[in-house]
Order: sequence, then C-alpha cells, then structure tokens
Amino acid sequence: MRSGRQRALRRSLVAAGFLVSILAGVVLYFLPAIQVALRDTGQVNTSLGGTAQLKPVSASEHLSSTSPFTLLLLGSDSDSKFKGDYLTQSMILTRVDPATKHVTMMSIPRDLWVRLCNGSNGKIDQAFLHGGAQCAIQTVQRNLRVHIDYYAWIGLQGLVSVLNQLGGVNVIANNPVMDDYYPADLSGGNPFDYQRILVLPGAQHMSGTLALEYVRARHDDAYGDFARSQRQQQILIALRAKTKHVSLVDIPSLATSLGSDFQTNMSIGQVSGLLPIAGSVPLASITQVVLLPPYTNNVYIGGQASLMPNWSLIRPEVANYFPVVS
Amino acid sequence: MKRIAILVALMVASGLAANRALAMLQSRPTTAALVNTTSPQVRLPGTIYVSQEGSIYAISGSSVRRLALPSGGNWTQQRVLADGTLLVIRRFDASSDLYHVSAAGHVLSRLTSNDPSTSNQTIQLDHWILWPSMSPDGTQVFFATDAPKPAPNKSYEVDFSLWSASLGVPFSIGDGGVDGATRWSVPDMYTGGDIEPVPLPNGSLLYSSYANTGKGTVVTVLGLQTSPNSRMHSLTTPQQDCGAPAVASDGVTVAMVCTNSGQTADLEVATLAGTSLGPARVVVANCLCNSPSWSATGNNLLYMNAADTNGNFGLWYIANAGGAHPVAPRRVTDASVDLDATSAAAWSSR
Repeated sequence: MRSGRQRALRRSLVAAGFLVSILAGVVLYFLPAIQVALRDTGQVNTSLGGTAQLKPVSASEHLSSTSPFTLLLLGSDSDSKFKGDYLTQSMILTRVDPATKHVTMMSIPRDLWVRLCNGSNGKIDQAFLHGGAQCAIQTVQRNLRVHIDYYAWIGLQGLVSVLNQLGGVNVIANNPVMDDYYPADLSGGNPFDYQRILVLPGAQHMSGTLALEYVRARHDDAYGDFARSQRQQQILIALRAKTKHVSLVDIPSLATSLGSDFQTNMSIGQVSGLLPIAGSVPLASITQVVLLPPYTNNVYIGGQASLMPNWSLIRPEVANYFPVVS
Repeated sequence: MKRIAILVALMVASGLAANRALAMLQSRPTTAALVNTTSPQVRLPGTIYVSQEGSIYAISGSSVRRLALPSGGNWTQQRVLADGTLLVIRRFDASSDLYHVSAAGHVLSRLTSNDPSTSNQTIQLDHWILWPSMSPDGTQVFFATDAPKPAPNKSYEVDFSLWSASLGVPFSIGDGGVDGATRWSVPDMYTGGDIEPVPLPNGSLLYSSYANTGKGTVVTVLGLQTSPNSRMHSLTTPQQDCGAPAVASDGVTVAMVCTNSGQTADLEVATLAGTSLGPARVVVANCLCNSPSWSATGNNLLYMNAADTNGNFGLWYIANAGGAHPVAPRRVTDASVDLDATSAAAWSSR
C-alpha cells in the first residue's frame, strides 16, 4: 500500500519535472518579448492634462473589439549623433476601424510650426525631444484638436531590423530616389558623414536598409519632406501585407530585433492583436493624406525652414477622418 | 542515482525541445540562388540572362549557369548585343560602370571609369551610369547618367539625363557632362530625371521621363524624341504614370508598366504610330510587374513580377503578348527564387 503511494508520488514528481522543464523552455523562448513588454509597452502615464487627454485604456479594450481607434506613429533618427535626444522626423496619425477594415493615414509634416506641449513655439518634431511620447501626443492633440488612443515610436535601426526580420517588403518605387547628401549614420563610421544613395524606380523587393533609404532620402526631391511622407506611408502599407504571415511565435525574434528602438503605450497583447487587423485591411480601404500647400506654407522662422499651418484648412480635414476634441 | 540523472537529462531535453519547436514554427522568409534551383519550369529557346543578388545568370533550356564576372559590386541591367556578347552595369555603393563582356562573363572592355577618386573625396562628384541600350543597327550605346552635375557642392540636384555614344569609341563621364557622347535630354529638376532609353529603328528615342506635376506628385510619362535635344512628345498621360518601356523587334509594339498613380501596376502593350501611341491593352492587371523585355524575334514578352505582395520576384513569360490573343502568363523561374526586378531579362536567340 505504502509502496504504491510512493510510486504514484514518484510518477507525479517526474511528470511535474517534465512539465516545469517544458514550461521553462517556452518561457525562455518568449523572454525577449516579455522583456520588451515590461520595458517598452504600456509605460505611458495616460493622464496628460490639458484640453486633450489620452483616454486610459485597458489591455483588452479596442483591439479585441470592433471599436475604431487612433494611433500616432512616431519615427526618429536614433543614431549616435543625437545622443538620445531624438526628434521625430516622421509623425503619422492613423485611424483604424476594425469593423469596416478601413485605415486612414495622415502624415504630419515634421517642420510644422506649432505651440509645443511646454508652451513654447517650435517645429512639431521637437515635441518628442522636449518631453518624449507624452509631449508629442499632447502637442498633436492640442494643435490638431484630435483624440489619440495609442502611440508607437520606432528608431532607425529598429525599423531596419524589423523589416529585415520580416524578409523585406515589396514596393513600387515611384521614381528614382537619389540623394548625394544622405546621412551615413548607420554604417558605424562618423555619424555626420554623407553617402550617396540611389533607389531605382518600379516594383522591387526592398531590404530593411533599402527601404530606409527610400523613406528617408529627401535632398533631391521636388517635394522634400512631403514626398518622403508619401513614401513612408507606402512602406507602412507594404508592411501591412507582411503582418498576415506573422504569428505569436515570431514575436520574440521581432522583439529582439527592435531592441531599445521601440516604445508604445499598447500592451504586447494589443500589439499582437493589431497584426491580424492590419493584415486584413484591403489596399482600396486605405486613405492616405499628406498636408501639402495650401494646408501649409513655407516660411523661415529664426533662420529655420518651417511650415506655417493653415489651421482653418487643416482642422476640418482632420475632423473628416479623426475624432476631434473641442 | 543513475536513473535520476537520466530522468533529469530527459527533462532538460524536453524543455530544450519545446523551445526549439517554437523557434521552428517562425515564419522565415527564404530565397534560393537561381543556380541552385531545379530546372526552369518553362523551357524557352535561346538564352535568357537575369540578375540576382549582384550576379548574372544565363538560363538555356533546362540549364542555369552563373556568368564568371569579376567579383566585387553588383552586376545588373544586362543587355545582349547581336553577336551574343553583353553590356552589363557593375554597380557599387556610390558609382557604377558599364562593361562589355562575353557570353561566358569574361570582360572584353570597360567602357567607363566612374570609380570614386582617391584624390578627391567629394562623393557628390561620383557618377552613376545605368540602363544601357543598343541602337537597332548596333552602332550606338544609349544610357542614363547623373552627369552633368549642375552645381556640385552647391546644390542637392542629382538627376538622370540620356546620352548616346558610338560603341568602341571612348567616352568619359565627368561633372560637366559626357565627353565623347551626345546628350539627348534635359531632365525635370529634382524628379529623378530621364531613364530607360530605348533607341528605335527610325532613329528616335523612347524613354521614361519623370516630371513634377506641381501638385505634390512626381509622375512618369513615356517620352519620345526624334533627335538629340529635340522636343519630347508625351506618349502617355501623367495620370497613367507609365514607365519601363520595351519595344519588340517590329519596332512599334511597346510594352510598358503603368501604375495609374496606385500601389499596384498594370503591364500594358500598345502600338507606336509616329509620335503617338495607340490604345493600350492590359496584359497583366494589378501586379507588381517591372522590367518588361521582348524576345529577339517575334512578340513574346518577359517581365518580372511577384506572385503576391509577399512573394519573390520571378521571371514570367507571355507568348504572343503583342498579338490579338496573348497566352496566359507563365512563371519561368522557381517560386523560391527572388530576382532583381529592376534588371530586365535579356533574351538572346543564341
């Protein structure tokens, strides 16, 4: 009787040992994603004050439902010459409606001259420099009078790594993109050096580095930052196709690729919930908006080339696509 | 004791196995080198030259061989000459050069020397040469280059213009233009300029011309010039956004890729009549098509396309594409192969 109980106990211990070992293997596999989740997601204090506030969200809200939501996508030159003081060269206000599978992307020009979150006037790309994502969100909310639910920030190297991790993207390059003054800041040398780049036109497969050159080059471009904004939206649309093939088991390697070049106030569950939504949006259901003149006018302020917003045109345009706040 | 050790080892192994099993479930994009794939699924006559990851491959029937080109740089944009030799671009990070090579890949001559200068470190003075093309009579080589530089070190402008030079006569690309060559076009500034020259039997030049619409977009039209520096006739509208022209051996059947300002493209065929283009017929719709090229004789079309938005770019074939009843497209290369879609296949009858 006693030996029978001992045998059962031994069997239970062996089974538990195997279970713990397998669980440890699974936990170790997802460890990079867990670390990113703890470090880079859900960290924003959602009470920002002011006229426009980030609405507190629960982990299951929005992305597990059919409610539309607004996401501010931020991109920074995060190379060594900035020493952690990053501007946001790319700001794309995105509205996602999971029920209708419709996405609107509005690029906010980096040179837009606005009242920043700290009360001073400056280019909108400086908001992130002054107060990180919270200041960038608050500045966009106050100036565009729009409500933002989430944000996601990515640095240059993170973007290149993620694109490479996903196997690159297929894109139709609009025209030959050439730049003799492209920053040579990711090659490991002097980050202030220049390099020549050339992206050929037409349909092609782009690696992470080539895609970055395509969205970042601006010097030999009739429309400078505006054209760059259009190309950034194009790469996001191409990335959307890639998300169809991303599953939960891909998250750890993606998290490792991103390293410290990614921040968001979405939980890891919300990020993974966004992937199937993005993948299911048809191309025809994506609206792209770039605030060209007359929405903005070129001006020089304090010697800086800037864009003066025409709020009487911009705000109604924003209200067409995004939930506004008074 | 020994049994316990074995059990612990098995437990650790099961943990490792679970970890590796998850890793194996990852969606890893893979591509294969053309030369390592199985025989082409569609066997076409002659030899077809394609570019993949900086190498040139020759597909002859069911065999594939890699050309023995010198190492270094990316070899791309191959063109076959009447004698079976090739013109090929060798592209480096900041410059490119034009080479004349044998069908086996041995260098016969180097036609340009755009190496970055060791004495002058100003990279803005480096040059590209791309899209080489031979005149139908085999005497003139046409190309696009970013010379002249309007104001090196003072301007950001760098755009392609079109030039022609006699094959066998030396020419050199410099900041002021191309010595020993004839300039054909003046590009619209800050657009990328004029590219993809296709010399026609009647001496005219067909090409892709990028232009600023003045409304926030840069588009391309097919342009036609009857002589160097003459007025460009627009054969397509800015709304059609057509480029990548290729002309069949009849000299008038034109294949082109049009995006209609969208995120996908149509592969279209139309007939050239003087300085205008007849109605276009879509032979492949809503594709990621690029770089069409025709067979040396007849009206069979090759082009690059990805089967879907995530797929590899492969070589596709349409028999009788220029006729009234084209055959449905067929993929020539294996689906695992990802070719350079910006480098048109060159089809030799040899």
